[in-house]
Amino acid sequence: MTQYAIVTDLERCVGCMACMTACKMVNDVPIGNYWNKVMRVGPNPKYEGAVSPDVEMYFLPVGCQHCEKPECVAVCPTGASHKLEDGTVQIDKSKCIGCQFCAMACPYGVRYLNETERVVEKCTLCEQRVAQGELPQCVINCGGHARWFGDLDQGIESFVSYDEPSPNVFVGLSYDEMCATRATLGEFCEEFDESQVHALPNVGNNPAFRYILRKSAWQGGE
Amino acid sequence: MELQWPLILFTTLVAWSAGLFGTQALLAAGGHAKKSQTPAWVASAVLLAAGGIAVFFHLEHWERIFNGFGHLTSGITQELIAVVVLAVVAVAYLIVMRRSDDGATVPKWLCWASVAVCAVLVAVMAHSYTMAARPAWDSVLWILYVLGNACALGPCTMALIMAAAGDETAPAGLPALAGAALGAAAAVAFAASLQASAGAFAEVGFYFDPTHPTAGMADAAAAVAAQAPLLWAGAVLVGGALPLAAAFMGRKTANWRLWGTVAVACALAGAVALRVVFYELGLSVFMFY
Repeated sequence: MTQYAIVTDLERCVGCMACMTACKMVNDVPIGNYWNKVMRVGPNPKYEGAVSPDVEMYFLPVGCQHCEKPECVAVCPTGASHKLEDGTVQIDKSKCIGCQFCAMACPYGVRYLNETERVVEKCTLCEQRVAQGELPQCVINCGGHARWFGDLDQGIESFVSYDEPSPNVFVGLSYDEMCATRATLGEFCEEFDESQVHALPNVGNNPAFRYILRKSAWQGGE
Repeated sequence: MELQWPLILFTTLVAWSAGLFGTQALLAAGGHAKKSQTPAWVASAVLLAAGGIAVFFHLEHWERIFNGFGHLTSGITQELIAVVVLAVVAVAYLIVMRRSDDGATVPKWLCWASVAVCAVLVAVMAHSYTMAARPAWDSVLWILYVLGNACALGPCTMALIMAAAGDETAPAGLPALAGAALGAAAAVAFAASLQASAGAFAEVGFYFDPTHPTAGMADAAAAVAAQAPLLWAGAVLVGGALPLAAAFMGRKTANWRLWGTVAVACALAGAVALRVVFYELGLSVFMFY
């Protein structure tokens, strides 16, 4: 089994929204729609009764979580929303009748109606890029190296991103050559344990995306 | 969530249609309402057709509607199948009825089959909205509420038609009263469930959505509080208590032209009011944008 997903190290995310704009650029996401959106969570008190400066916050990029048991697929009357063998949830636009029940059934509000094409759209995990061995655009454009792409079934340490620019190694590399470099999350990021790996609230859909948060309190439940 | 008027009308009209057809079948099983059978069947068919037209306005690609039979786990697919089954049963009912000696008699087995199919259609339709992602919707009480709509609207409409057609209205009195009572009880129960839904959402404390910098934070408790007047005054009082009182008066006075009209009008207003609240409180469990 394969379950492609994205892991975000929230302590590397600076909230620059480059992932969001890169997604809109490469996928031609209509104005007002967001296949990936960055939300600021906090500032919240570090402990009960705490006041500034004893507060903490993090940025949370949210898109389709490519769930293990996607509710959007279950409610789709046409089979337009479907789950592929690589674990991603995709939409066959030619089948979609635009009933938008998938958008209602999604716990995260990440499905949008494309008002020009009159069908529902969402994050495809850049399947057009992944099929060519490339990384999703939000991963490539993440300047903080917070976004990592891989197969959840292989463990999140195996997730990859482009490698860190280094004057000794990367001098003279073109953009394309740079995009083809790879670093793994396990080698690149600070250590973490299982208790520091989180997922968005689960109502039976088993979201595949993971978020690493070591030093702050995860908000919103699992 | 934005109000989805095509779906508000669809669910209301289908409950009304199924309730009416179910009631005429129920009365036919007892040999009652002979003069009203054909008008009631026509009224029910018109309501179902109007509901069908309404729902088409919800679809962005209605020309692909036959794709909608494509996925059995989908509530919409189940709903479509149930509508087709009801239509088949209703047409069979009409044919058998018209071919009977008095033009208004239907075998008991077909009457009870019709009642069952009506109940199944309404339950299946309501079930398609029960989604774990939307805590306010994810309740069996919603299904019972829509069934309650059918129980209140159907018998009261039938009593009105019987009065207009010159039938003896007494046989419709008990179904109308009992149906209105069920509708009122279901309205109270589901209203209480909606009122309690405010605590079912994920909480992240303070947050900010940079793409909507002027938007305030989502507040489920405030949303529920804002809908309370429409919920309790509109859906419960007007939509539940008044039809019950009207059905009581109708049964007592046998003046179903007046009280049947009042009961149906109030039940309809309440059904629409509750659906408005239903969509207003149809917040995602992760409701931050």
